[in-house]
Amino acid sequence: MSILDIIITYREGLLAGLLVTLKLCLIIWSSGIFIGTILGYLGSKHHKEIGTPSRFISFGLSGIPVLILLFWLHYPLQALLKININPFFTAAFAFSLLNIFSVADLVRSTLANFPAQYNLAAKVCGLSQKETFFKIELPIIFRQIIPSLLNLQVTMLQLTLFASLISVEEIFRVAQRINAIIYKPIEVYTTLAIFFLIICLPLNGLALWLKNKYTRDISEN
Amino acid sequence: MLIGKKITKKYHGTEILKGVDIEIEPGKITSLIGPSGGGKTTLLRVLSMLDLPESGSITLDGEKYNFPLKINNITPPWPRVSVVFQQLFLWPHLTLRENILLPLRGSVDKKHITELIEILQMKEFIDRYPNQVSLGQRQRVALARALALNPEYLLLDEITSALDIEQVNIILNHLQILRDKGVGILIVTHLLNFAQRASDNIIFLDEGKVIETGGKEILEKPRHERIKKFLSIVKAAT
Repeated sequence: MSILDIIITYREGLLAGLLVTLKLCLIIWSSGIFIGTILGYLGSKHHKEIGTPSRFISFGLSGIPVLILLFWLHYPLQALLKININPFFTAAFAFSLLNIFSVADLVRSTLANFPAQYNLAAKVCGLSQKETFFKIELPIIFRQIIPSLLNLQVTMLQLTLFASLISVEEIFRVAQRINAIIYKPIEVYTTLAIFFLIICLPLNGLALWLKNKYTRDISEN
Repeated sequence: MLIGKKITKKYHGTEILKGVDIEIEPGKITSLIGPSGGGKTTLLRVLSMLDLPESGSITLDGEKYNFPLKINNITPPWPRVSVVFQQLFLWPHLTLRENILLPLRGSVDKKHITELIEILQMKEFIDRYPNQVSLGQRQRVALARALALNPEYLLLDEITSALDIEQVNIILNHLQILRDKGVGILIVTHLLNFAQRASDNIIFLDEGKVIETGGKEILEKPRHERIKKFLSIVKAAT
């Protein structure tokens, strides 16, 4: 059975799996970018109250393998709390948590390293704080952060494969099932790779394009 | 008149300015000279109230501030008092033209901007980004950005450091025009020749203190031994 045969034969299952993966991604991406940006911004303005605890949690999360985090949240925690949550939402929560703190770290470090001299120049030119934020800080930060942010989202997409291990019916789990039926691992996982390439390449390409277009030498002095 | 009296300023516990008196008169060019680390840039930042002094007073056209004061108690003097820093600080995401136009908030005097672009010979590169031009070109743009705001007092920190003689002359001529229009100008410079040609007043600052103040004669016939020594070192080096 060729790759094309696999795609044609199992198109419904693959599309359903892909849809679950994309739904998962949409939750992870939107929550991570929205909440993570706010958390990162607040963390840079309120170091003690928000920045330090956020960094501490982020540091802790970075040391825990994703798989263990997923298992913890899915099995012992739910048993402990005597609740039963749909694995899709458990996976969405776990990955969103990772994405939120990763984005917050990115935003906070970019803001922390923002060259103060640009604000100083804005001040002597008589720009207000609001004007300085919207016309100077935000565009420079946006340009600096976008490539890394997109790369991070591609990594998060790839991490969703782990959701299959707590029985989320995403595309990797569908591929595993197909392979269990036809036992053509090379063709099945190549098909999976093609699906991921179709999603990831435009994102990587966009990151590269934005990097080339907007990243400027900010050490211009 | 921009007047500083008995100004002191500390950084990390070290006293950088030790009771400095200085006056920037409208329609006059004042040069601030002296060895590196003598407090020239600090004095410029304090006079523009970007950094507040620990003690002393600053009076801007009759409005007097006695320090110590909190920043909230000060009416921002910018861009009435405008500063061009040695490091320039052009915004890297904007073209050079946009760098000049942004602070004007749409109320652009096109004739004035065109004049500045022509006088400072920026036509060729005005639509490039800061990282696409030379340091000398960036220096002219930073100056143009300040001038476009029509400041009453202009404080310039080593703005000719990367310019060739021809460009220094262009800037010198323009500063003299501004002086004649009544702008008070303070120039921090290590170019003694430039200071001598441009200035109405010269102030020699060393170790946070004004050693001597006066006209061009300070450079020709210095009274103080410290200035004589400084001038001889500079002359030997150039």
